[in-house]
Amino acid sequence: MAEGELPMATSTNNNRPKILILGTLSGGYRGADSVGQEHLEYPPNTYILPVMSAAIFPETFYMRAFERGFDGIIVMFSGTDCPYKGAPERTAEIINKTYELMKERKLDLNRLRLAAICTVCVRPFIEEVHKMEQLLDEIGKLPHPLPP
Amino acid sequence: MPEQSDKSNPPEKELGLAPDPSPEEEPRIGVYVCNCGGNIGDVVNCKQVAEALRNIPNVVTSHSNMFMCSDPGQKLITDDIKEKGINRVVIGACSIFLHEQTFRQAVERAGLNPYLYYHVGLREQDSWVHYNHPEDATEKAIRLMLAGVAKARKMEPLEPVRLQAEKHALVIGGGVAGLRTALDIARSGLKVTLVEKSHFLGGRVAQWERVFPTGETARTLLQRLLEQVQAEPDITIHTGAKVVKTKGYVGNFQIHIRQQPRGIKADFDAVDQAIAACPVEIPDEFNYGLKTRKAIYQPYSGCYPAGPVVDWEHCTHCEKCLEFSHNHDINLDDTPIEFDINVGAVAVATGFRPYEPFPGEMGYGKFPEVITLPQLERLLAADGPTGGKLEWNGRSVRSLAMIHCVGSRQVDDVHQPQPDGQVNNYCSRVCCTATLNAANIIHERLPETRIYDVYTDIRTYGRGHEDYYTLASKNGVTFLRYFVEDIPEVYPAEKGSYYSMLVKVKDQLTWGEEIELPVDLVVLAVGMMPNPVDDLIGLFNITPGNDRFLLEVHPKLSPVETSVVGIVLAGTAQGPMNIQESCTAAAAAASKVVVLLGRGQVEMEPYVAQIDIERCQGNGDCVRVCPQEDAIKLETFSKNGTSFQRAVVTPANCNGCGVCVSTCSHRAIDVLGWRLDDYEAMVDAITAEIPVLEGVPA
Ligand SMILES: Cc1cc2nc3c(=O)[nH]c(=O)nc-3n(C[C@H](O)[C@H](O)[C@H](O)COP(=O)(O)OP(=O)(O)OC[C@H]3O[C@@H](n4cnc5c(N)ncnc54)[C@H](O)[C@@H]3O)c2cc1C
Repeated sequence: MAEGELPMATSTNNNRPKILILGTLSGGYRGADSVGQEHLEYPPNTYILPVMSAAIFPETFYMRAFERGFDGIIVMFSGTDCPYKGAPERTAEIINKTYELMKERKLDLNRLRLAAICTVCVRPFIEEVHKMEQLLDEIGKLPHPLPP
Repeated sequence: MPEQSDKSNPPEKELGLAPDPSPEEEPRIGVYVCNCGGNIGDVVNCKQVAEALRNIPNVVTSHSNMFMCSDPGQKLITDDIKEKGINRVVIGACSIFLHEQTFRQAVERAGLNPYLYYHVGLREQDSWVHYNHPEDATEKAIRLMLAGVAKARKMEPLEPVRLQAEKHALVIGGGVAGLRTALDIARSGLKVTLVEKSHFLGGRVAQWERVFPTGETARTLLQRLLEQVQAEPDITIHTGAKVVKTKGYVGNFQIHIRQQPRGIKADFDAVDQAIAACPVEIPDEFNYGLKTRKAIYQPYSGCYPAGPVVDWEHCTHCEKCLEFSHNHDINLDDTPIEFDINVGAVAVATGFRPYEPFPGEMGYGKFPEVITLPQLERLLAADGPTGGKLEWNGRSVRSLAMIHCVGSRQVDDVHQPQPDGQVNNYCSRVCCTATLNAANIIHERLPETRIYDVYTDIRTYGRGHEDYYTLASKNGVTFLRYFVEDIPEVYPAEKGSYYSMLVKVKDQLTWGEEIELPVDLVVLAVGMMPNPVDDLIGLFNITPGNDRFLLEVHPKLSPVETSVVGIVLAGTAQGPMNIQESCTAAAAAASKVVVLLGRGQVEMEPYVAQIDIERCQGNGDCVRVCPQEDAIKLETFSKNGTSFQRAVVTPANCNGCGVCVSTCSHRAIDVLGWRLDDYEAMVDAITAEIPVLEGVPA
């Protein structure tokens, strides 16, 4: 189809749940590229940001992302294959701390997932996204503003 | 080189007023949306994306283009930088891993700092995965590009970290991979120190008989390599040596080495008598325990360095050998020496060890007739325990079974895990062809011997390897196939039977028929495991993978580099490889070292932690959690006569892991180029209620 013939994006789709994926360059971000290379489909309401190491994000970052409008977050790191010593453990620790904050705010803990995705983990990537998608279909978007 | 403070007497620095921030440059952002032929443009309405971004604050120009990576595409960017004063660039295109360098160079050519460009992946992560939803794909592209613009507003020029580099490399391990690495580095004009923990060079290859795929004897091959290494004046070799302490970073590692003495002079001329006099008998590791050796030994004649050594662990100091020692040729009071070297880079070539079956695994350790493939190699070797004759219990082997995949491709709940709880689920890659190679050698020497090859899959994957399978078939080797659920059973035949052992196989080639193979000998084709290098992992901060082999940063794009800049991997330390692959990896490792050190200066990505000294409270949390040695420390500063502590980063030791960032409750640390603020701005941009989609012209 020529460019001019393409349908325009006409709605902002602001009402669909949004999923943030933080993909490490040595894990999930490259995994997402591998999924693309195989032309496998997953829902478009997923926004993947490249990160060098997920250990930089404190728990407040995740809570803020929920407040700002993300309904689900998947951290896709390379788990025990992470090239940065100490970073996967730290990431897991922060996610656990974030769960505490989520409990306090009565958020479903499944809205935040930590997944080990390697650079060629095509199927696990798709499964993670579908799992989150399914969950959001069931429990819906987060209310905004979030309950205190 | 970054400034280093003397730890024993930390200097007190005067903390002046924060320097006047340079008058903030107003971001002038250029946005470029690539159609990638039609790879992106057939799904994403790129023109609409470009239009949607056009009126966003700070965006000065916004284009869609058929091929941004083409010369005209790049010219569009460089012209905009020069003519429209663009000082930040956001490109939506294919994968960042394909063209990041292309665009960085284009931006730099136009005089802009190359780190003032941000790349959004619109092909692999949008058009190629949402092709049935073009509208949604276009909306996603717009939001991701908005995030790119939000990041671009905050981008700052960065400079690579530049460090002085020693033109000297360390190679750890003297197997084929280490030797090849050392040779290639030295031939490029750098100095090399090679450290080998055993007293002899050559690694495992010295133990094999004839090697695939060339059919050369392993010793001939090794000899050639060793002669080249010895002839290279820039290579210094230390055997019996280990790295025990390290400090520093790429360009300038300080390495502390401990070397065991040999205990015997090289020109000692009564070697045989001294060995005969030694009363100690221990299993000979070179022959995988098939024979014993003394506490004065030499693994094989012609080894390098030549001459025997004292095995200090087992020597009882009985001094019987001294009877033959004139002129203090043998010195049982010799002690280890320790010394330091400074090197710019390190190649780890510590190799592998064969999988050791658990006691009783397929009869191993229980029945002497069950041996491993490395043991078979020693039986076939001319200087092995039987002088190259395939004999067992004093007579020629008439029938043998070779069982593949022992210690490789293991499955949870079927196989016994290693002490770390993991089974070896990887393929060891070399054993299939090595087994068929051995089968063909046996057939050549003993054509009457019956050979059963019991496999799960045969993976003769390399050039010329399949020929070994074809030849084995022609030689009459009988192939049987087992599935992992039905591991072959190995047990003794009834007393007085013609053959002493039986192997029961549920053979999938005959639809699961149970077949008993009567044999004299059972050979387990054991897989490869990494040599234990926990000490080096700790010393260099490198990482093992799940399979325990050392991990590269990325298997395809940075195949021999570790996450620690300046430390590279060569050969089977990184995973199962044959000799050819080990040498290829070694050549790659050597070229990485040469590129890194060749100019006497190293450049590293600037993605390291940076402290905001105004926000830092000096509580030291970051120092406590930092997994790298000497990457962050507290230093004492003073202001208006008051002393206080602040964190200071040594960029060369920081790998940007970001652990400190999430720990600092004052948000006083960021990783340059990957700031938390940037991510927050990107989150805001993606989730914003954007009116931009309405009323955008097509
Ligand atoms: C039974 C068998 C048969 C094989 N046959 C063939 C064949 O026919 N053809 C083929 O292409 N390949 C064959 N291979 C594979 C071949 O052996 C390997 O590819 C090769 O040995 C790899 O060389 P390397 O230098 O990586 O490791 P290694 O040969 O293991 O050498 C590593 C060296 O590092 C030293 N070292 C370890 N730790 C330290 C430390 N901490 N400090 C200092 N030094 C250290 C070790 O002492 C050793 O000398 C076979 C393998 C097996 C198991």
